[in-house]
Amino acid sequence: MSLLEIEKITKSYQDGTEKQQVLDEVSLKVDGGEVVAIVGPSGSGKSTLLSIAGMLLSPDRGIVRIGGTEESSLPKKEWAKERRERIGFVFQSHHLLPYLNSEEQLTLFQEKRKQKKVSALELLKELDVESCIRKYPANMSGGEKQRVAIARAFINDPDIILADEPTASLDAKRGRQAVEMIRNEAKKRGKAAVVVTHDERILDLIDKIYPLENGKLML
Amino acid sequence: MQSGGITLKQAWKELVYGKKKYILIELLLVLLMFMVLFLSGLAEGLGRAVSSGIEDMDADYYLLDDSAEDLITVSSLNEDVPEKVKKQTTALTAPLDIQRMYLVKEGEAEKLNVTYFAIEPDSFIEPAVMDGVGLADSDVPDPIILDDDFLLEGIALGDTVYDSSSDIPFTVTGFAKDQMYGHVSIGFISTDTYAKIRKRLSPMYTKMYHAVAIKGDDIENIGIEGTEVISKEDIISSIPSYTAEHLTITMIVWVLIVISAVIIGIFHYILTLQKRKQFGIMKALGMSMGRLVFLVISEVAMLSVSASVISLVLAFGMAGALPETMPFYLETSNAVAVVTAFVLISIFSSILSILNISRIDPITAIGGGEE
Repeated sequence: MSLLEIEKITKSYQDGTEKQQVLDEVSLKVDGGEVVAIVGPSGSGKSTLLSIAGMLLSPDRGIVRIGGTEESSLPKKEWAKERRERIGFVFQSHHLLPYLNSEEQLTLFQEKRKQKKVSALELLKELDVESCIRKYPANMSGGEKQRVAIARAFINDPDIILADEPTASLDAKRGRQAVEMIRNEAKKRGKAAVVVTHDERILDLIDKIYPLENGKLML
Repeated sequence: MQSGGITLKQAWKELVYGKKKYILIELLLVLLMFMVLFLSGLAEGLGRAVSSGIEDMDADYYLLDDSAEDLITVSSLNEDVPEKVKKQTTALTAPLDIQRMYLVKEGEAEKLNVTYFAIEPDSFIEPAVMDGVGLADSDVPDPIILDDDFLLEGIALGDTVYDSSSDIPFTVTGFAKDQMYGHVSIGFISTDTYAKIRKRLSPMYTKMYHAVAIKGDDIENIGIEGTEVISKEDIISSIPSYTAEHLTITMIVWVLIVISAVIIGIFHYILTLQKRKQFGIMKALGMSMGRLVFLVISEVAMLSVSASVISLVLAFGMAGALPETMPFYLETSNAVAVVTAFVLISIFSSILSILNISRIDPITAIGGGEE
């Protein structure tokens, strides 16, 4: 079953007097346990696509389904809840809160009813940052911080994981590790993972690679 | 709110993490609030210089003649009125005369301002003496209990002071704390002494009273032609200059409270601007606006409530250390009202921050991360 389904998404921006077509009837399906990458030059609309899939931006036309629910028809005020419960985000930078230790970074966002299903401790163990459980971001390395951020993406047992250039702030080795971790967790937990990247060194870790050019996905 | 506890914890952790910054803000809050409390104490102290004699008097109502416009000093009641009132109520009653005069110390020429409160010795309106004995307990012919400010004039227990107009001597038998009327210190004398003064000044004098003080609420059946019963509050606000002074001073204090609280709101707004990125991330990760509002309000409340407690301790500590003569009077209820208003207004002024947060688009979390 496809956990993420994007159907004929169109999005354009008004750029001065010109109308710029960023996404042109883009469709994409990602199954559970599958890791896909969207690659393309900057300005190709990768971030826009990710924002639409991540319930941060509404498309002009088209449908977004996550875990079978048609998200694009939900009113905007329910988006925060949908993001919280169905989507795990990994950003370019770790974006951890400076005043919380690693465990609290996770539990702060964890829904009460998901507590039985996923444990923060277990996730941190799997991502090999168990030693950082009481550490604050200021005392962790870049790789450790990004791994805690990856753990945070899984804390609410979401349907999909969206990673926005997850290697951007890391060196080659750590960047690769980070994508490996996303892959391993997605496989293990059966999540659909979408990685937006222009880092070609990690593409061997990806199941399907979709280049995005002129607002269209190629395969 | 199911996540209330964890959000409170988050607020606390953020304050602790940024302790250098927040201690400075807390210091500012404490200073502002202390200033407000201190000024409100001084204001109240000044106000009491007008009214403390009546405010501390153990009476709830006063019977005056109905043309007196609530002013005890211009009221005049016939000699038989106190007895009539006593028969019409189960409440305690006691006659009272108030007269502004001058005292002269033995062997000196300088006149000292005094307001006589002429009362029946041992009646419930006699003040508690802090030093010496009450009017009824002394065996001198004309005893007087003075406000403690007279101690500063070098008057001591057992001294003889003269009424400057009649030259009648009084013996100082006691001092009472904080007894003022219309900015003038009070001297409590007996109604008999008072009558003696009046007789000496005008041989045609017939005994009259200014007012009858009533303690208790049984006033329904008091009905004497040409008189009316007036509440203590109305009596106080009718003391000349009381209302005008009180209003001015109260205005000053409240304007300060509002200004201080708005300053806090602005401080918090600046902090919020610095944290826009964080708020964007939290929103992208699905944290509800309700929780973010609760987070901001908890932080403001933690800062302002703790600052309230610290400044209350400071203000009351200082009140204890101030010299007696300083017109400083801070009532607990008043101080609590001031800090409560302060906390509420500062929470209210964090609406500015909340509005700003509500306008942050969570999409800022995606992409280069630069706003």
